[in-house]
Amino acid sequence: MGLKMRKLAWLGLVAAITLVPPAAAAESAKIRLFPARVDIGAFFQGVEVHLQGEIPPEAEAVVEIQGAAAQQELLRKGRRGGLWMTVGEIWVENAPNLYLVLSSAPNIPQLNGPETPWGLSALKSRINFRGVLHDQEKDRFFQEFLELKKSEELYGALPGALKISNSPEGRVTLKGTCLLPAKVPPGHYQVRLSVIKDGKVLEQKNEELEVKMVGFPALLANLAYGHGAFYGVVAVLIAIATGFIMGFLFKGKAEH
Amino acid sequence: MWNLYLPIAGNSINILLLFGLGGGVGFLSGLFGVGGGFLMTPLLIMTGIPSTVAAASDSNQIVAASTSGTYAHYRMGNVDFKMGFLLLVGGVVGGTLGVQLIKVLMALGNADFVIKITYVVMLGVVGFYMFLESLQSLRKKAVMEVKRAEPARPSTYARTIQALPWQMRFDKSGVTFSALVPLILGIMVGILAAIMGVGGGFIMVPVMVYMLRMPMHVVVGTSLFQILFTCINVTVMQAITNHTVDLVLALILLVGSTLGAQVGAKLSRRLKADQLKILLASIVLLVMVQILVSLILTPNLLLGYKGGH
Repeated sequence: MGLKMRKLAWLGLVAAITLVPPAAAAESAKIRLFPARVDIGAFFQGVEVHLQGEIPPEAEAVVEIQGAAAQQELLRKGRRGGLWMTVGEIWVENAPNLYLVLSSAPNIPQLNGPETPWGLSALKSRINFRGVLHDQEKDRFFQEFLELKKSEELYGALPGALKISNSPEGRVTLKGTCLLPAKVPPGHYQVRLSVIKDGKVLEQKNEELEVKMVGFPALLANLAYGHGAFYGVVAVLIAIATGFIMGFLFKGKAEH
Repeated sequence: MWNLYLPIAGNSINILLLFGLGGGVGFLSGLFGVGGGFLMTPLLIMTGIPSTVAAASDSNQIVAASTSGTYAHYRMGNVDFKMGFLLLVGGVVGGTLGVQLIKVLMALGNADFVIKITYVVMLGVVGFYMFLESLQSLRKKAVMEVKRAEPARPSTYARTIQALPWQMRFDKSGVTFSALVPLILGIMVGILAAIMGVGGGFIMVPVMVYMLRMPMHVVVGTSLFQILFTCINVTVMQAITNHTVDLVLALILLVGSTLGAQVGAKLSRRLKADQLKILLASIVLLVMVQILVSLILTPNLLLGYKGGH
């Protein structure tokens, strides 16, 4: 009986070691964002978000910042009668509205064996294209889509942007900065730190970044989307009043 | 430092740049009586504004510029309200027909081709005709002054419009013809404007000059009057259906454009009609060449966002 119990205890211990990922055993990675909430006010022109964290010694770090996946309707250009023009619509599904990836290594680290879940090329397996394109054209249009998003600074890969340093207390600290462009859509963004060693994920930590419209822009956006007719009439009245005021001011000057 | 966030466009942009754009296009609006949509919208897109927001907000700012311009021209006695009203009614009917036509073309899959070709052909025809006619007129003026031309036999067009029913006197323009003429021409311009997604000022001005035989200074004021109402309609409709009117963007543009429109309206009184026509023709031709080049050169990206002209 005693022997049986001891065997069961050993089996339980082995199972616990096997099933619990090494990350849970280490539990030493941390990530924090400054600021944790970005306010889009009247003079917003993009913002630098500072990342700080800790990772285990001799490990590399990858940080992904990504927004909600949505469907986007794009236009495909093509040649008709020798002229370039829109030839149809392409729907892009499951593409995040923002995707930035930063790493401590000079290249974005790749995993041994399984498919690397981060990086711009990893988005290919998640994003779906449909509309006016053939299956064999999907790779090409994935690249076109990346270029379009990169041109708006909404997608980007920043290898080496995370700096690792050893603190006197023996901890390994992580620092980095990324720019959220002025075009960043309001919403909730997931920030994920992945700790990699020897081509394997040791640990992952998630944080949330909120981007929110505040003040006058928020008021205007609420009016425009919630009370379109009122907003339209107000916009016209303001325009007419400004036109008359300017006309009147010029008339006054002319008479002097 | 000078950047301002545009909540509907979802982007930040330099105030001085917008003010300058508004001022420049408003100046042309006051000078020529065109709304400037065919110039402003592409310029806004170049600065990073989404095309749908650029087109809708531009309509909003044109309301201010055309109010200012119409008021300035009204004070100078340059607005033919009777003619403007008939053209406006025709324009609304034509615009509605044009929107339906675009729907049919979109269903057939060749709307963009028709829009682009209409743009190039219309700008090309209008620009070349105005340019050549004004140039010839300027050259011949000296000869004409010395040698009195014999009364010419009325053209087929002139005879046709005189034969139509509902003859009407337009005192401000100094012309008499059937009320059907401005109505039909308004419908035609309305269809073209709807296809091209613009107010139609740059088509309406030559139509008034060459087909309605109106004096250039009355043309400018009357065209602005008609554009004002077209753009009020577009702004309200865009705000209700697409939520694409950015009031902040429109406000900055309209302050610039109303100032520019006043300067333009004053200068238009000092310039001769032929000089005005040559200047407008040159701008129309430049825009046509720019569109033609963009149609011929391979684009950097084969994907783009939806919306705009």
